[in-house]
Amino acid sequence: METIKKYNIGYILSYIFIPAIIIAICVILNVIFDWRGSLAVITLFFIPMIAILFWCFASTLLYKQKKNQMPFILEEQGVVCNQTFYGGSCTVVVDEINKQVGLLFRWNPFQVYTIPAYKITKAWVDDGASGAGFMKGSSRVSFLFVVDAIKIRVNTFTSNKRWRMDSNYILTGISKADMMVEILNSTRGVDNSESI
Amino acid sequence: MSLFKKMRSVFHDDWCSQCQNEMDIIHKQLFMLPHVIVGHYQSHEDANYYKQNLVKVNKKKDIPTGTYACGMHEYRCPICGHQAVKLTVFLPVRDEEKVEEVLYFDNGEMDNFRI
Repeated sequence: METIKKYNIGYILSYIFIPAIIIAICVILNVIFDWRGSLAVITLFFIPMIAILFWCFASTLLYKQKKNQMPFILEEQGVVCNQTFYGGSCTVVVDEINKQVGLLFRWNPFQVYTIPAYKITKAWVDDGASGAGFMKGSSRVSFLFVVDAIKIRVNTFTSNKRWRMDSNYILTGISKADMMVEILNSTRGVDNSESI
Repeated sequence: MSLFKKMRSVFHDDWCSQCQNEMDIIHKQLFMLPHVIVGHYQSHEDANYYKQNLVKVNKKKDIPTGTYACGMHEYRCPICGHQAVKLTVFLPVRDEEKVEEVLYFDNGEMDNFRI
């Protein structure tokens, strides 16, 4: 079985640098040939604009497309998608029948991993709580699990603000995380009371 | 009936809509909605939906994690005998409850609903 890679370095580097290189080439060509008029607008405005749009949206769109393809890829491998959680950085599919887990990572979108559930050594919820008393709050809720000593975090709620622990957002995030941990634990045959 | 009392009754769930007297709770029951899980909640106001989908549970611990629950309060007015049912749809999360909506069935739609 392949080792899980959360990040594909080649993909990340090309994602960052190819648009930057294209912008740099456009600027250099402009300086060398002293383009004016439409050609200058295209090379100094439209191409950099496309590169910026690429940086902003391309990874999200690619990840979304791969997420949609994931059930079909897993189906071909004989995985039954009993429970799917679409996280922002990782998609988790649990096959409770064949005791398998499917994984797709945002920064490694070309590889869908299928692992036997027993490979998960630990699964737990991180409610991100900090502060005390009435100041207690969180801006992130996630569930985590360890596969082959690699810790995988899947966010069920993220925000740029801190929310009270009894807010609807946090409670929904905790509920989703609790549910996924329970499903992962029952699939790998572990008592849930140990981890939540 | 005084206007003031009618206005006050708006803020009291357990006051009779006919005579504005405080109603007695005649039955309480906890249910779960087994097909409704966290992230997939949709509001329903039809009593038949609840009659078909509610599953009786004895305590909150019996509700699987991430599954919606529903608390039913059945009221009867001791003065005029009018009955009403309040359904509180909520998501149990550890020791907390995330209330989604509170529904009142005041026209007998859910009266004497037992499973």
